[in-house]
Amino acid sequence: MTKDQKTIDNLKTMEKNNSHHTLRNGRRILKYGFIGYGRNIWLSLTSTIVMSLTLILLFVTIIASLMLSSTAEVMREKIDITIFFKPGTSTSMLEKMANTMRKDSNVRNVEYSTTEEEYQKFIEEQKDNTELMDLLENDEDGALKELMMAGLQSTMRIKVVDAEDLTSVKDIVDNNEDFVENLDASREPTYDTNNAAIDTIVNWSNIARVGGLGLSGLFLVISILVIFNTIRMAIYSRSEEIYMEKLVGANNSFIRGPFLVEASISGIIAGILSAIISFVAFNALTPKLESYDIDVSKVSAFINIDHIALILLAFIGIGVIIALTSSRLAVHKYLRRM
Amino acid sequence: MILFDHVTKLYPSDPRPALDNVSLHIAANEFVFLVGKSGAGKSTLIKMITKEEIPDSGKLIIGGIDLDYVKKRHVPNYRRRIGVVFQDFKLLPTRTVYENVAFALEIAGMSNMEIEKTVPKVLDLVGLSEKGNKFPDNLSGGERQRVSIARSVARQPKILVADEPTGNLDVLTSKEIIELLQKINDYGTTVLVTTHDASIVNLLKKRVITLKDGKVVSDQKQHGIYRLDANNDGIHLPQPGHMHTENYLEDDDEPHMCTERPIREVPKTVHISPDGTPVSQPKRSNPRRRLVQ
Repeated sequence: MTKDQKTIDNLKTMEKNNSHHTLRNGRRILKYGFIGYGRNIWLSLTSTIVMSLTLILLFVTIIASLMLSSTAEVMREKIDITIFFKPGTSTSMLEKMANTMRKDSNVRNVEYSTTEEEYQKFIEEQKDNTELMDLLENDEDGALKELMMAGLQSTMRIKVVDAEDLTSVKDIVDNNEDFVENLDASREPTYDTNNAAIDTIVNWSNIARVGGLGLSGLFLVISILVIFNTIRMAIYSRSEEIYMEKLVGANNSFIRGPFLVEASISGIIAGILSAIISFVAFNALTPKLESYDIDVSKVSAFINIDHIALILLAFIGIGVIIALTSSRLAVHKYLRRM
Repeated sequence: MILFDHVTKLYPSDPRPALDNVSLHIAANEFVFLVGKSGAGKSTLIKMITKEEIPDSGKLIIGGIDLDYVKKRHVPNYRRRIGVVFQDFKLLPTRTVYENVAFALEIAGMSNMEIEKTVPKVLDLVGLSEKGNKFPDNLSGGERQRVSIARSVARQPKILVADEPTGNLDVLTSKEIIELLQKINDYGTTVLVTTHDASIVNLLKKRVITLKDGKVVSDQKQHGIYRLDANNDGIHLPQPGHMHTENYLEDDDEPHMCTERPIREVPKTVHISPDGTPVSQPKRSNPRRRLVQ
C-alpha cells in the first residue's frame, strides 16, 4: 500500500469516525441553530414577521374564498322555480305532477301547495292587516274567502341541481299532459321572469368557486416566494459564514444544520403567531360577517375552539415546511460554490 | 510537506495562466514566504493548497496527500489537516472568540471535554486567554488575526498557510503576528506565508519564493530578502553566489519533480553555500513539539 493510499484510507476512517458522532453533532447543530437565531435577532425577527404576515394573508384568502363560495351556494339553494296551476287543482293531481317532476334527474326537491294552503299562507301573512281580518270575520257566507281563493293558484316549487340547464324541467311543464291541462295560463312559471337574477347568482357562485381556488393557489405561490426570498436574503447576508465554515473543514450537513434549525424556529414561531391572530380575528369578525348575510357556517364548523390544536399544527406545519425548503435551497446555493 | 509539480492553472476570464508550470517543494518544518505583486498567483497557489481550486495540469502533494485522490466528499476532512489564516480573518461574526476556536474542533467531532481542555491552551498560546467571551467585532485587527491563527492551529495541523496575514494590520501588529507564526513554526509546523510586506520578510531572513505572472522566478533558500526592483514589482533576481541564493528550478543537478517519478518520493531541499556547494539543512531545535500538550 502506498503512502498516498494510506492517507486516503486515513481520511475515510476519519469520515467514518465522524459519522459515529452523529448524536454529538446533532446536539451542536441544535445549539448553534438556537444561538444563531438569537444572535441574528433582527434578521430572524424580520423573517418570522414576514412569514407570520404571509401565513395570515394565506389564511384570509382561503377563508374568504371558502365563505364566498358557500354564500353563493346558499343563495343558489334558494333558487326555485314556481309553477302556478289553476285554482282548485286537486291535491291528488298535484301529487301526481310532483311525482312526474321528481323523476327528472335535475330536480332536487319538489314542494306543492293547494289553493287552500295558499289561502292559509296568505291569511298568515296578512294577520296584521286588521281591515282585512275584520272583513273576513264578518264574511259569514264565505263569499269573500271564495273570491280570494279563486285568485290564488295552487303552486309547485321546484329546486334544481343545475340552475343553468332548465331544459328538462321546461320540457315537462310544456309537454306533459297533466301540466298542460292544469297550468294557469295567466301566470307564467317564474323561471322565465327571474332568469337574469338566476344567471347572476349562478355566475357569482362559479366565480367564487373557481376564482377562490385560483386565488388561494396564487397566494400560496406568492407566500412561498415571499418567505423564500426573505430567508434567501437573510442567508445571503451570511453567505461569508458558510464560506468560512467550509474553508475550516466543516462538512455540508454541519454547516446546513444550524440554518435549518433557525428556519424551523422561525416557522414554528410564525405558525403559532399567525394561528392565534387568525383564530382570534376570525371569531371576532364572525358576527359582523353574519350580519352581512355571509355564510360562515361551513368555515366556523372547523375554525372553532375544538380544533385549535389542529389549526395550530396546520399553521406550524405550513410555516416550517416553507421555511425549511427555502432555507435548504438558499444554503445549497452557497455550499455548492466550493 | 508541500509539493507543486508542474502545476498550471488557467481561469476562463483571463488568457494569462494564474499559475504557469509551477514546481516547488517546501520541506517539513520550513518557514517560507511567498512574495510577488498582486496577480502574481500567490492567492491561486494558496487556493490550490486549500483545494478551493483544482489545477488544470500538474500534481500537488500536500502533507503526504496527493490531492488528485481527494474526492469532493473527502475535502472537509482534508481541510481539517491544514491550518489556514486569511488577510480578512474570516471569523464567524456571531460566535465568540472561544466558539470560533472551538468550531474547528467541533467539526472534527471532538468531545466537549477535549474542547474545553484544548481551547483555553490555544487561546493562551496566541495571548488571548482573557478575551474568550468577546465577539470578533469587539477585537482589534491584530487580536482578530490571533483568533484566526488560534482557530487554524487548534487541531495542531502539520501545515499552516497564511494568505497575507498582515495585509490589514499596522507595522507593529504585523511584527507580532509574524513572531507568533514563527513560534508556531518553532513547534514543528510547516508555515507558508504570502505577503507584500518587504519589512517582515527581510526581518526574518527565511526562505523566500517569488512569483511573477504565475511563474516562480526566484527561490532564496536561506536568508531570503524581498527587494523591490526598479519597476517596483517586488522581484528579487538572484545573483550568483549572493546571500546563499539559488534558483531552485534552474538547478539542473537537483532531482526536482517530473511526472515519471513516483509521487511519494519528494525531493530534498538542498541549500547552497556562498561558494556554490550544497550544505546540509539546518537542524530544528525541537521538531514537531506539540503546540498544546
